Amino acid sequence: MKQRGRIAHWAGCAAVLIWSLVPIYWSLKTSVETEAAARAQNYVPLHPTMGNYATLLTRSGDLPGQIRRATLNIVIECGAATIVTVVLATLAGYAFARMQFRGRQTLFYAVLATMAFPAYTTLIPLYKIMSDFSLVNTYTGIVLVYVSGFLPLATWVLHNYFVSMPIGLEEAALIDGATRLQVLRRIVLPLARPAIISTALITFLFAWAQFLFPLVLSTDSSTQPLTVVIAALQGRHVVPSTLLNAAGVLAIAVPALLALAFNRYIVNGLLAGSNK
Amino acid sequence: MVKGSSLPDEKLAAPAAVPPAGRPAAGRRLSRRQQGGRPAERRALAARGLPYLLVAPLTLFIIGLALIPAAFTIIESFYRANPLDPPTRFDGIGNFRRLFANNAVITSFGNTAGYVIVGVVLSTVLGIFFAVVLRNPFRGRGILIAVLILPWALPGVVEGILWTGIFDPSSGLLNGVLSSLHLTSHGSVLLGDNRWLTIVLIELVQVWQITPLSTLLVLAAMQLMPHELFQAAAIDGCGPWQSFWRITLPLARPGIAVAIVQALIATLNVFDQPYVLNGAATTGASITEQTYFISFQNLDFGGGYALSLLITMITLIISLIVVRGVYRRIDY
Repeated sequence: MKQRGRIAHWAGCAAVLIWSLVPIYWSLKTSVETEAAARAQNYVPLHPTMGNYATLLTRSGDLPGQIRRATLNIVIECGAATIVTVVLATLAGYAFARMQFRGRQTLFYAVLATMAFPAYTTLIPLYKIMSDFSLVNTYTGIVLVYVSGFLPLATWVLHNYFVSMPIGLEEAALIDGATRLQVLRRIVLPLARPAIISTALITFLFAWAQFLFPLVLSTDSSTQPLTVVIAALQGRHVVPSTLLNAAGVLAIAVPALLALAFNRYIVNGLLAGSNK
Repeated sequence: MVKGSSLPDEKLAAPAAVPPAGRPAAGRRLSRRQQGGRPAERRALAARGLPYLLVAPLTLFIIGLALIPAAFTIIESFYRANPLDPPTRFDGIGNFRRLFANNAVITSFGNTAGYVIVGVVLSTVLGIFFAVVLRNPFRGRGILIAVLILPWALPGVVEGILWTGIFDPSSGLLNGVLSSLHLTSHGSVLLGDNRWLTIVLIELVQVWQITPLSTLLVLAAMQLMPHELFQAAAIDGCGPWQSFWRITLPLARPGIAVAIVQALIATLNVFDQPYVLNGAATTGASITEQTYFISFQNLDFGGGYALSLLITMITLIISLIVVRGVYRRIDY
């Protein structure tokens, strides 16, 4: 009986590993093969080569140039969106958690209401607004849209964390004559670091995964992120699958490493964001 | 939902709000009085204005890039808005009538229903299964959880690319395995041929992406269950299966409800995976894909608005029904 339980447990663990890793492994494998080797369908790469990566990262030409530009774009867009989102969400979350002001309830409910709507509800109007302000094909346009999308969740998570923090230290500092901003910077921010890191990571990963918004908001390669460029390559049959997979591995390298390194922060942030 | 209840008590926040305006300034007021008391007043005024300053950027974003666009979607869905057919004019329910007369749209509703059913059922069942596996502490559990959340962290588009390597008719892993087991002939086409097979396989890729969150939500609910309950049940002769069906599953309902809702929202709005795996092919196109085709390829923005509004309403209504039906508040 006990033996059977242990076998079932390890079989379950194996299922988790196989389910999560096989597609990633297969892509990694294809990305280090030549086209001929990929067609042979071996389960392991017999003669691994970095040729595909070398082509993408160092070779000049249309495709590698586009991939490198798209990599730069996605880093800029996700980085900027994360910084702006976390800063604004921290300020607003703190105000909601600790300060009294008129319209606080109304605004808070407005923030929560926007979280209930599917993101694509506002796809077309956001495109129209951005094109009215000539922000299509600009970093600003994409970052504004990302921030507007991620700000409500980030504010909600940070607000909850601030509320859960003991208030005594802040009160003591205020009585001793510290200003609100000093309290925020010297006491609240250091204590809230785990929540801020979680929020930043989740925002960054959400931004990295965006596809339909940048597809609509950037029509040329000057601002297209890696996701949009890779999806466009997929449709073109001249791009060999080995090269396509190498580009895919480049696109998942950053989020995969972040997820593996900071999984505790991500798990906490996800649970804080969705358990209401 | 109970979101609003986490606002802090008025009582709790009130004393914190008083000191900056009152206390420090009061101490200084004595010494400043001879000079006219201006800086103290200015400081008090600044302190009172501070919260507005802190929430101002958020307010601008919410109004300008969420509420106004949402209002646009609602209003313009009743207008004929097409740059190829100007001017924009009121059209009553014309957009909706045209949508329901459009076969591609009707088909996309059926397709999306397929994505939703396959996605919600599979991600919930797998999520519960993985949560049971990870429930009790064991060596390597942390690593397993890190690996588990990997697919959640990756962009849906690139996941589509990863899975093309598995679904590819000639060099794909799936066909390779199936044909070496003599289940299919070598090189049989998996995607784009048969409508429901296409939908199931594409949805499998999305299930891969959304199952980690389902697992975490169910796992979090399981972690709250007191151990004594299971010990008591075991003493009463309750086997592992019985205690799973009779205790674990019912008590995990809050987590399962949230997991189902997140899966519903994701699957009702599925776009990335079918777009990448199936291109512009109409076999298996989702409603969100149709919205994109109608607005940005046919430039019928009015129709796009109307379809967006429909998906939003459907998403909200179904989510509400699930929360009502599955969610139970559980206090230990």
